Amino acid sequence: MITAFIHKFSSPKSFVNLTEKIYPFLIIFGVSMLIFGWAWGLFFAPQDAVQGNSYRIIFLHVPSVIFAELIYFFMAVCALMHLVWRVKLAAYLIKSAAPIGAMITFIGLFSGSIWGIPTWGTWWQWDARITSTLILFIMYLGILTLHGSFSNLEKADRLMSILVIIGVINIPIIKKSVDWWSTLHQPASISVSGSSSIDPSMLYPLFISVIGLGFTLIALGILTSRSYIFTREKNKRWVLEHV
Amino acid sequence: MLRLIKAESFKLSKKLKSWLGPLLIMVLVLIAFPLSIDISQYDLDKFYFSIIVVSLLMTAFVATEGMFEEDFEDGSLEQEFLIEKDFYKVVFSKILVYVAFIGIPIAFIGALFSFANGVAIVSFAKILLLLSLSNLLLFNLFAFGNALSINKGAMLGVLTALPLALPVIILLGRAIRSIQFDEGFTAIIALMTGIGLIISAIMPIIISAVLKTHID
Amino acid sequence: MFNLAFDNFNDILYMQGHGIYVWSVYLIGILMIATSFLIANKRIKAIQKKIKISNAPS
Repeated sequence: MITAFIHKFSSPKSFVNLTEKIYPFLIIFGVSMLIFGWAWGLFFAPQDAVQGNSYRIIFLHVPSVIFAELIYFFMAVCALMHLVWRVKLAAYLIKSAAPIGAMITFIGLFSGSIWGIPTWGTWWQWDARITSTLILFIMYLGILTLHGSFSNLEKADRLMSILVIIGVINIPIIKKSVDWWSTLHQPASISVSGSSSIDPSMLYPLFISVIGLGFTLIALGILTSRSYIFTREKNKRWVLEHV
Repeated sequence: MLRLIKAESFKLSKKLKSWLGPLLIMVLVLIAFPLSIDISQYDLDKFYFSIIVVSLLMTAFVATEGMFEEDFEDGSLEQEFLIEKDFYKVVFSKILVYVAFIGIPIAFIGALFSFANGVAIVSFAKILLLLSLSNLLLFNLFAFGNALSINKGAMLGVLTALPLALPVIILLGRAIRSIQFDEGFTAIIALMTGIGLIISAIMPIIISAVLKTHID
Repeated sequence: MFNLAFDNFNDILYMQGHGIYVWSVYLIGILMIATSFLIANKRIKAIQKKIKISNAPS
């Protein structure tokens, strides 16, 4: 019953049809939110008392690090679906999400490094969270390399899913390692439940840019997954009719 | 189970290169390190551990490199897969034999050299225990990496297994600090033993799933 | 809440010495995201063309 349900709604054909319809809305909404959030953050939000103006990197840094982890979680869910219910679309989505994840992790690392120069006086620190984000980046590269090195694509899909699921253990370690090590990195200053240690005038633009970047990345994911689905299913009838 | 372990140890003893090579690399790195820096300027015992940890990582990788490749290519892996109903037992005994014949000697060499470089002799047993346990963890993780990349070369194995091995290295670093400052060592050994038991129970099942994918 | 944090355009660029960090990060981030959109679009075009050619009635 549940298998039939999943298979019905996870055919690549219906996925492409659905995403083609919602893509324009997603991209317009995402980019305009991003522009709004960044403009607010960069020009209107007040200066930070301690860090001066360099803190304005937060409006790029925090959203990208959030999505670096969220994309990996998304991939892990897809991997589970691929292994348990043999959903082909899930494997396609993992393969197309991985480069985006790698890119956004790189942006997160890069912006963090640059932020570190004026704030900490060093661009790199072997601190827990930075190190584990670097590990995350290496994991994305490993997943891509693994998938790229097998000519039998079905086999590559399955091996990649196993690797993604094993690697997801790494994410709690990212979270926990901050507590395990004494670290230089400021502890997460926003929590969902409790009160935040960040001023609302900085929190709102941050929140808006998180949402904006999220929708932009979903739109990007739709594009990459569409091209990958076409590549993989190029001999299927529905692709011929669709193109 | 005993039959499998015997068979695996026989196979490994025939492959001189795969068990002697890692040991020699370990010795080589540990000899080369103190010679490559000006010993008189530093307290070697303070950071000699770091080089032991790094060479542990290297040798664990070299040791597990051909673990499944030869068996896969000459077809004996497929044969065992058909004969043995619980395929993970084969993988488990293979890893166990590798740890016993390569991992523990490497740990012994590491402990010996750290003692030769000014670490107090009372820590010898502690270091040996610590390095053997971390080799158990590392061999399991690298066996997974090598099962994934079975005949696709070393780079893929490193890329896939290194992220998993780094937490072990972090834990090892903490354990070594606890030896140096003589505090909380038992707790960390208990933690590592627990992780080791869990990993060596789960990893063979995962690895056998990976190998199944390759054989199909 | 919507008061400009800077006096003039030069201040926005300079940001009391931190401008170089802030703007380079945003520039590179935006460039990377935009480039990946362009690459994805290009790939879709290429694969569509390929499919059309390989299935054209000859």
